Amino acid sequence: MPEHLTASLLIALIGGIVDLDSTATWQFMISQPIVAAPLTGLFLGNMFGEAAAGLKLGLMVGTILQLIWIEQLPLGMNVPPDAALASVLSVALGFIAGHGYESYSEREVCYTIALLLAVALGLLGRSLDMFVRRLNTGIDAWVSQKVESNQLWAIAFGHTLGGMFTFTKAFIFCFLVVWLGVEPLRYFTSTLSFKHASGFIVVQGLLPAVGFSVLASMCIKDRREMRLFIGAIIVFTLLPAKIWLGIGAALLVLYRYGWRSAAK
Amino acid sequence: MRNLPRFMLAKIAFRSFFLQSSWNYRGMMNMGFLYAISPALDRLHAPGPAREAAYLRHLEYFNTNPYFASIVMGVTLALEERLSRGEITEDIIHDTKEGLMTACAAIGDGLFWDSWRPFVAAAALAFAFGNYLLTPLIFLALYNLPHLYFRFFGIFWGYREGTHIIRSLRQFQFPQIRQSLRYGTLVLLAYLVPNHVNLHTPFLLTNLPIEYFYFGEKVVQGIGALVLVSLGTVAYRARIDVLLISFLLMVCALVLYHWGILI
Repeated sequence: MPEHLTASLLIALIGGIVDLDSTATWQFMISQPIVAAPLTGLFLGNMFGEAAAGLKLGLMVGTILQLIWIEQLPLGMNVPPDAALASVLSVALGFIAGHGYESYSEREVCYTIALLLAVALGLLGRSLDMFVRRLNTGIDAWVSQKVESNQLWAIAFGHTLGGMFTFTKAFIFCFLVVWLGVEPLRYFTSTLSFKHASGFIVVQGLLPAVGFSVLASMCIKDRREMRLFIGAIIVFTLLPAKIWLGIGAALLVLYRYGWRSAAK
Repeated sequence: MRNLPRFMLAKIAFRSFFLQSSWNYRGMMNMGFLYAISPALDRLHAPGPAREAAYLRHLEYFNTNPYFASIVMGVTLALEERLSRGEITEDIIHDTKEGLMTACAAIGDGLFWDSWRPFVAAAALAFAFGNYLLTPLIFLALYNLPHLYFRFFGIFWGYREGTHIIRSLRQFQFPQIRQSLRYGTLVLLAYLVPNHVNLHTPFLLTNLPIEYFYFGEKVVQGIGALVLVSLGTVAYRARIDVLLISFLLMVCALVLYHWGILI
């Protein structure tokens, strides 16, 4: 079996499983970009004999997509962009298309363009989600009829069918995108000059700022919190960039405002 | 007197993981809810009109937080059991379920979606930016601790407490927990902003003595990131779509790079 076809099938399978987790089943949050993207990178990298490179790409993509869509949630009628499929496809397209390039900058550009493309695919994924939900509405009406005529087996059948629709949708979508999308992406990347290509690396470095803005909008509710935030940024700018400083400070704040206050 | 064995409740807790498989616009999680509790309904009601009525009763609209749905299932089963003994009427089940699903949706969505997930994501992002390859596992382990607690214990708890569950839920002080998680997320964000927005300009390299370069670079990056995030926050609060903001940022970055202001 050609390598590209095997990779497309692998991605379709990962996409199907990950998409089930986003709403339909489990909700362990494997579908969150910070998990789904590295997972895809790991499996794909393993297939191409570059597991560490795949995992690192997944982590980079997952970080940015997690930030951009951190506030998007499937609450009630709201159907958010499909971040799970976007993560899987972004890593898959970027890795497979970038695999053939020798230079660092060409690979990075490939990754960034795949990331931007995947954001658009996430929006398309939302439309497919809504389509599946409409199909489920039809199943619901059918199940109600069956239960009224005392055919109680229909509930397990209809419910399972709903899950299968979700998996099938994601499987076919991922397969087609990877199967058909790699070559156009590779062609587009090769048409860019070095100057343009390097510009995309600058964009990649700045994109987290968008996600940080979304997270700040969620967390800052009043002026006092705004002052706390700006003050903390100044402190962390002057301190060395050690992760344990950030985690330690967050735990301290949790203790100060949470558990201690609750104990009172 | 409780008749449902623990094994049966564990089975229902397991089935609750598939609550939203058939999410639909008419009854939302109705089929998932009925699918999860159907083994208990089969045990509580004899085959025939009583069982059919029970199935139809739970095919009505149902929507709540998926992690807190187990609690609603537990309470509903406690009431179904009383109905099967003729102690209450169907209306009590309907009203209790409706009230409880609304309360659980409010508590669960506020706790998990609005507070816990952003906090865990921010912590995981701090690890991810540091290139810790185990970040996904850290995220999953942290996130799923309370998730699995409510999924599994929720059903036993709801079944045991019945309609007194709301009083018991109060002991968790959810508003306090949510506020502290929000502050924790804010501090993590304050760590991430100056350290992980990569904003570099060539002017420092040419104008600063080399011994001050590292510090100068960090200060400029911190201030630049703060300005960028502030602008993004204002734009987001003005209801500009996040994808449009990303696109504008991309265009601005490419233009500034072209002019040689950013490298």
